Amino acid sequence: MNFFSKFNQFYMHNPRLERERHLLVPIVLIIILFTVIIFRAPHLFSSDGIGGAIIVISPLILAALALTPIALVGRGGIDLSVGPLIGFINVSLVAWLVGNGYTSPFLVVSYVLGAGILYQVIVAAIIIYIRVSPIIVTLSGYLVLTGVNLTIMDRPSGFSPEWMYEWGYGAEILSPIFFILSGMIIIWFLFSRTVFYQQILLTGADERMAFASGVNTVAARFGAHIMGGIFAGMAALTYTALISSGDPTQGNTYTLAAITAMILGGTSPAGGIGGGLGSVLGSINMYMISYVLSSFNFGNVSGFVTQASTGVILALSLLINSLMNKKVEKL
Amino acid sequence: MKKNYLYIKDIIQKQNVLLAFSLLIILITIGALIVPSFASSISIRSMLLLAAFLGLASLGQTLCALLGGIDLSIPYVIGSANILLASLLNMGLPTTLAILIIIFCGLIVGLINGLLSYRLQGQSIVVTLGVGFIVVGVSQIFTSSGVYGGNVLSQVPPWIRNMSSFGGNTFGFPLPPVVFLWLIITIIMVAIMSRTLFGRSFYAVGGNKRASSRILISEFKIWNLAYIISGGMSAMTGMILLGFSGGGFVGVGDPYLFTTIAAVVIGGTSLLGGQGGYGSTVVGTLVLTVLTSLLVGLGLSYAMQQSVFGLLIIPMVALYARSPQIRNQI
Repeated sequence: MNFFSKFNQFYMHNPRLERERHLLVPIVLIIILFTVIIFRAPHLFSSDGIGGAIIVISPLILAALALTPIALVGRGGIDLSVGPLIGFINVSLVAWLVGNGYTSPFLVVSYVLGAGILYQVIVAAIIIYIRVSPIIVTLSGYLVLTGVNLTIMDRPSGFSPEWMYEWGYGAEILSPIFFILSGMIIIWFLFSRTVFYQQILLTGADERMAFASGVNTVAARFGAHIMGGIFAGMAALTYTALISSGDPTQGNTYTLAAITAMILGGTSPAGGIGGGLGSVLGSINMYMISYVLSSFNFGNVSGFVTQASTGVILALSLLINSLMNKKVEKL
Repeated sequence: MKKNYLYIKDIIQKQNVLLAFSLLIILITIGALIVPSFASSISIRSMLLLAAFLGLASLGQTLCALLGGIDLSIPYVIGSANILLASLLNMGLPTTLAILIIIFCGLIVGLINGLLSYRLQGQSIVVTLGVGFIVVGVSQIFTSSGVYGGNVLSQVPPWIRNMSSFGGNTFGFPLPPVVFLWLIITIIMVAIMSRTLFGRSFYAVGGNKRASSRILISEFKIWNLAYIISGGMSAMTGMILLGFSGGGFVGVGDPYLFTTIAAVVIGGTSLLGGQGGYGSTVVGTLVLTVLTSLLVGLGLSYAMQQSVFGLLIIPMVALYARSPQIRNQI
């Protein structure tokens, strides 16, 4: 028996490993990128390099984590509206709360969480009770929120709460953003150990089977969206800290970025496969890809090179994941 | 009994279009009553012109939606075709050759979309998005001479300019030729989709994959064809838009990212596949265009127009494309 078949036997028949198989691509990618960065741009691993990276990457990680439970619960549920939602919480926080002098941290945090959860509950209710496919609901959410954001604030303006001013500097690793990010990742980790999370996965993998086996699919879907709302709210908070003001349009870019990060992390939009760790790794990968590319001198076309290579990596990682998950494909 | 069921389903399908159509009539009536000069020839001309662009761009989206897929690469292909045509003309290529090259590239992009997303049907949204990124990135690297990001200045041949500019005319008739082109394509498409075996096989595959493979319709072929046509039509739309704008700009396709889906959905083609058609999409396109003009006439900003579109989509879909309740799916 050669090594390969032994490895294969161990690898393919270990259920715990099999469940984490989607992490293979992001882990391999992150190792490659780490190696490249060590040679090309070691500055990233200095104290302010990492500090700056955490500030920039936090909204992306949290946005990708906001997408993850909604994708896991199935029906092709990619939340297209996550970007405008982050933008909405950002501009409404700056215009309505800070603009009127309400800046206590407790109030701000409860507002961002409440707004995220409320929005996602409405979306989930439409998906569940009106039974319209999630893509359409989140698409119309995208359009509605884009309009609302520009109505609240027609151009970037305003200020973040003053206790947040220094968060965006990113001069040290252990910034408040770092603690928020770690806290949210720990919350995700705890959440993913629960039975409820299992039920979300089951619902996403095969909704009929889950329903017939007694899983409360309605609760699973609501729960997934509420988790999505919590993470979207925190993404908006870190985003506000990053730009220190309100911006009605830039938030929209997080939709495509977060979808890409989630897919890079191996979470399948078809439901049931993937997880939060993948999304975190995927976001880090995305940041490092653009970092590596910026270390090459592409001159004026560098933005386009980043875009094209994001597309290539997106398509490749989808293909690799689909080949690995062939077994799971439904008839 | 079975025949009866089909009959009912047939009526329901027609109802989708009727619904969109009555919405269109209502919108036009309201517009004519409230907004001054809404029904003037200038305003009708501009509405038809804008509807033609959207209609041509939504053709491929309709076919993909009929199969239960989505093509998000459309705006990127439109933008790329736009700047590519401008830069190929700058290089001194004959116009016809340049157009043929770009149409060919569009078809190839469509084929790539089709091949990649065939395996990953539930994820066509992400696949086509990725392909779109690649296309737009590569074409910008190709065209960028370095100075103006995303813009390519060029001389547009007069006939392309006439084709789609606001003041264009067709053999003396004061409508730009692109409107007639759209009309002809619509007639051909509707005829093909309803009368030919080829057209019906889209409905067969979209309605029931297993059943259609049993009657020897190749899902692989149909799926790829839908995306190929979509790529070709997007490339064409992008080139026609060059005549409208007068200079290459890669962002020219961006408004079509979600509006093509909105036009398809409002017209009555379900994204779940198997229902609808290009005729419905044409009505949906007109609804969107008339609604835009109405909202502009009422003084709503672009932002609020987006919101109204968004609010319109859910009730429209809820009327005809609800998925069955889970306990009825078992």
